Amino acid sequence: MSRRNLPLADRLGALREAVEVAEGRLEVPEVGQARALLAKAGARAALGDATVVALAGATGSGKSTLFNALSGAEVSTPGVRRPTTGVAHATVWGADGADGLLDWLEVPRRHRHDPEPALDGLVLLDLPDHDSIRIEHRLEVDRLVALVDVLVWVLDPEKYADAAVHDRYLAPLAGHAGVVLVVLNQIDRLDAAAAAQCLADLRGLLDREGLGAAPLLAVSARTGTGVVELRGELARRVTARKAASDRLTADVRGAAAALRAHCAVTDDGALGRGQRADLVEHLGDALADAAGVPAVTSAVERSAMRDGVARTGWPLVRWIRRLRPDPLERLHLGDERARTSLPPAGPAELAGVTTAVRRTRDVVGEGLPQAWRDDLRRTVEVSEAALADRLDGVVAGTDLGPDRVPLWQRAAGGLQWLLALVALAGAVWLLTLVVLGFFRLDDVVPLPRVEGVPLPTLLVIGGLLAGVLLAVVARPLVRLRSRRRARAAERRLRAAVDAVADADVLAPMAAVREDAARFRDAVERAGR
Amino acid sequence: MTAPPLRLPDALTALRNQLAAAHLGLATPDRDAAHRAARAVSDQIDDYLLPRLRDLDAPLLTVVGGSTGAGKSTLVNSLVGDQVTTAGVLRPTTRGPVLVCARADVAAFSGDRVLPGLPRVTGSAGGPGTVQLVARDDVPAGLALLDAPDVDSVVESNRQLAGQLLAAADLWVFVTTAARYADAVPWDLLRTAQERGTALAVVLDRVPGEAVAEVAADLSGMLERAGLSAARLFVIEERPLTQGRLPEDQVGPLRDWLHGLAADQEARAAVVRQTLTGALDSLEHRVLDVGAAMDAQEAAARSLHAAATAAYDGARAGVDEGVRSGTLLRGEVLARWQEFVGTGEWMRALQGQVSRFRDRVVSAVTGRPTPAVDLQGALESSVERLLRAEADRAAERTVTTWRSLPGGADLVAGAERELEQSSPDFPEAAAAQVRDWQGAVLDLVRDQGADKRSTARFLSWGINGAGAVVMVAVFAQTGGLTGGEVAVAGGTTAVGQRVLEAVFGDAAVRSLAARAREDLEARADALLRYEQDRFDVLVDAAVPAPTSAEALRTAVLELAAARRAAA
Repeated sequence: MSRRNLPLADRLGALREAVEVAEGRLEVPEVGQARALLAKAGARAALGDATVVALAGATGSGKSTLFNALSGAEVSTPGVRRPTTGVAHATVWGADGADGLLDWLEVPRRHRHDPEPALDGLVLLDLPDHDSIRIEHRLEVDRLVALVDVLVWVLDPEKYADAAVHDRYLAPLAGHAGVVLVVLNQIDRLDAAAAAQCLADLRGLLDREGLGAAPLLAVSARTGTGVVELRGELARRVTARKAASDRLTADVRGAAAALRAHCAVTDDGALGRGQRADLVEHLGDALADAAGVPAVTSAVERSAMRDGVARTGWPLVRWIRRLRPDPLERLHLGDERARTSLPPAGPAELAGVTTAVRRTRDVVGEGLPQAWRDDLRRTVEVSEAALADRLDGVVAGTDLGPDRVPLWQRAAGGLQWLLALVALAGAVWLLTLVVLGFFRLDDVVPLPRVEGVPLPTLLVIGGLLAGVLLAVVARPLVRLRSRRRARAAERRLRAAVDAVADADVLAPMAAVREDAARFRDAVERAGR
Repeated sequence: MTAPPLRLPDALTALRNQLAAAHLGLATPDRDAAHRAARAVSDQIDDYLLPRLRDLDAPLLTVVGGSTGAGKSTLVNSLVGDQVTTAGVLRPTTRGPVLVCARADVAAFSGDRVLPGLPRVTGSAGGPGTVQLVARDDVPAGLALLDAPDVDSVVESNRQLAGQLLAAADLWVFVTTAARYADAVPWDLLRTAQERGTALAVVLDRVPGEAVAEVAADLSGMLERAGLSAARLFVIEERPLTQGRLPEDQVGPLRDWLHGLAADQEARAAVVRQTLTGALDSLEHRVLDVGAAMDAQEAAARSLHAAATAAYDGARAGVDEGVRSGTLLRGEVLARWQEFVGTGEWMRALQGQVSRFRDRVVSAVTGRPTPAVDLQGALESSVERLLRAEADRAAERTVTTWRSLPGGADLVAGAERELEQSSPDFPEAAAAQVRDWQGAVLDLVRDQGADKRSTARFLSWGINGAGAVVMVAVFAQTGGLTGGEVAVAGGTTAVGQRVLEAVFGDAAVRSLAARAREDLEARADALLRYEQDRFDVLVDAAVPAPTSAEALRTAVLELAAARRAAA
């Protein structure tokens, strides 16, 4: 399929998609213009495939005379006073009055031409001038130039190089060369050599303006020279019945070209998996600090330490530990709906978050044009504002890992009790000996000796010493275990925070980037 | 006729110099118009007012101007009676202006007395940017005709040159046609002529014979409504040309009128006076419009400055807040303190080795690389982090606000990405400042501690440790620590402060902390001011010097005074 033949409906669909993607994201005037074009296209499509041709030109160029020559009747009154035509006139060929079309164009003065097979379906408009001191004429021309299907620019030997027509109308129509005809009227005022020179000069001017494809006809409305050729050119376009869609196609391509300024230059829409993981990790570092993950981790470690020591410590003093509050419980974690008692993030942490988010934004915004980066900034502002509460909830709701009492700690605890009991037994024994000795009943309770040391003394001293020793030996193990538990908690918290970073910060940014890519694809398709 | 007073040319020169110095760099809505106006006024002073004031009796410069295709060149040829300038069917025809004058007057036009910016050529056509000088015997002395380029063709340089030539004319012969006489562009020029009181004759060319009465009546009605009823109207019918010239009966009246002016010293002086007075009268409001544009530039510059200041004041407040609230503790500062009071260096080193060993074992077993340490993040202290975030935020806020302010968008255009973050050397500068500050705090402690009895106790910790305590105190002293925070983070700080107070005394700690904080804030202020300067410099380079609008108005007043003196 050649690039020219892409159906108009597809182009309009692509443009509509681009406008929809840009809705609420891009704040640029081009989107509004594209939307207006879509509205115009919808309205025009509903009004049939008649061909609306407008004669436009400067005051005194002979538009009205040419209009009458084509209409075969005195429809528009030419005059010698300037400016002449103030409102547009229409001549309609064919049985169908095209009233709906003319109502849409807001052209009230209508003339019905007798049926003429070659031109059936032609609606010819005579526009006001565009260069006189009457500004309202110019506004009417601007309005209709945007709506009609084919533009016939009527120039004359005196004015053909005026800036008013070239800079304001012809040069901007460069993309519409297919629906523009240029007519050099009043050719009868020049001799043949001068006419040829003049036409060549005008042709060169048009070529430089990008209107090389627009036909240039020499016409004299007064003598009738060239009017047949002009009529033939119009008949060709009327019978082809595609002037309306040609015009809209050119419009859509123009709108797409205007939107292309806001298209990303890079090819990749979605972020790569590795890139995304890097960004999440970097964000997670900053967010974890801000969310108080280090504080929670340290509380977990100290809490585990406290419990472990209480369990494996020497039974006679371990209760003292219990008097201290559990650092973990003081944070009031566990309920993600309630606010925790974690201190709010300080300025340094918030600064870290801001910097990390900015860096992420810069990476995501790489290659995007300014309008999309603006949207990225707005998106980030929204997600950053809600971040603090979200993080607090996540930290509160994260399961910090199983709080099982390890077997060895139970065993050590049991052993401690056993040792305490041994010491107690020795003490009771000794006490009994003392009491019996008081009553001179020395031999009632035996007093075995081990290596010369009395057994009860051994029990007391051994039990106490072994208990202390066990507590001392267990302590590093308890510390090791609390560290492991803290690390496990940190891993879980980090995973939760990373999920927040991914879902609440990165995902909206990535969505902007994907939309930018979709937008670019749609604009490309519309403007191909 | 008395010699012109010397002061008037001086006043004009001063005004022209002021206008030339007017620098309108901000893209305010009226900038381009003011630019053109300033250019037009200084051109008119150079091209017309100064030469004319120097020599009131110099020949009358008549500029034949008008639309493209109106037949200006044909008219000039017909008036002179010879082919002096090229007429043709291609538009625009005339690109280089042609000046026709009597041989006796050649000296008056060949130098740079009038139109000093345009070099003269004789002989062949000069092309754009030059004036072709043609001396003729049949042109009466005291009158020169200048065939100007068109005012409305696609060639922009033509339009500019035509405007300049018309401003230099003693008399306009404005050529329009039956097809064109209601065009918007020529009427803008006619309105200018009316505002400036230029002497004017209008030629209505190419009128079809049958429409002469109607069109002429219509045009004179329009001229009357525009306040130009004093302008002479000549009508030339469209007839076949003979040898490229208009029929004699059509150009006769115009030529007779011009020759009459050349012959009549009084009438000529009246024309000169009318145009001169009109031009001088028009100067005031034209220059004041430029002055108003300069005021607008200054106002725009003020709001741009204000936007940047607001953004950076916000950054300063943010840094201040961060330092005062005491929460900065929970960053590196706390770590330093804990290092000092809590875990010893030795323990930390051991732990570090154990974890490194573990990482290595894990990576050997699992094949996964040990996690890379983000050096940047590790090295950056929390104060630096705060400074950088605030500087970035302020830069972005400034750029965003500027883009919505008049003139601001153009200033940042193309450099948004560099400008909306802190300057590339900011992190380094911030790090250096923070290091300096830490050093200064240590010096403070040393000075304070030297004459204390407890110097010995200091020595046991080392000045470094005391410095860390002061730093912690700086952030905590304002009492921003409450409840849970003390429990989680500040516990050691409260201890630290108590220790410090025991050493120095409460008042000394407070003043030490206050001084250290002031020092930090001064450093942050300097850093941010440097950042803000990037924006202020942009604005200052674009706006006119602060006094130039006033100087311009003074020049206008002086001109008025000079005119009163001359009258």
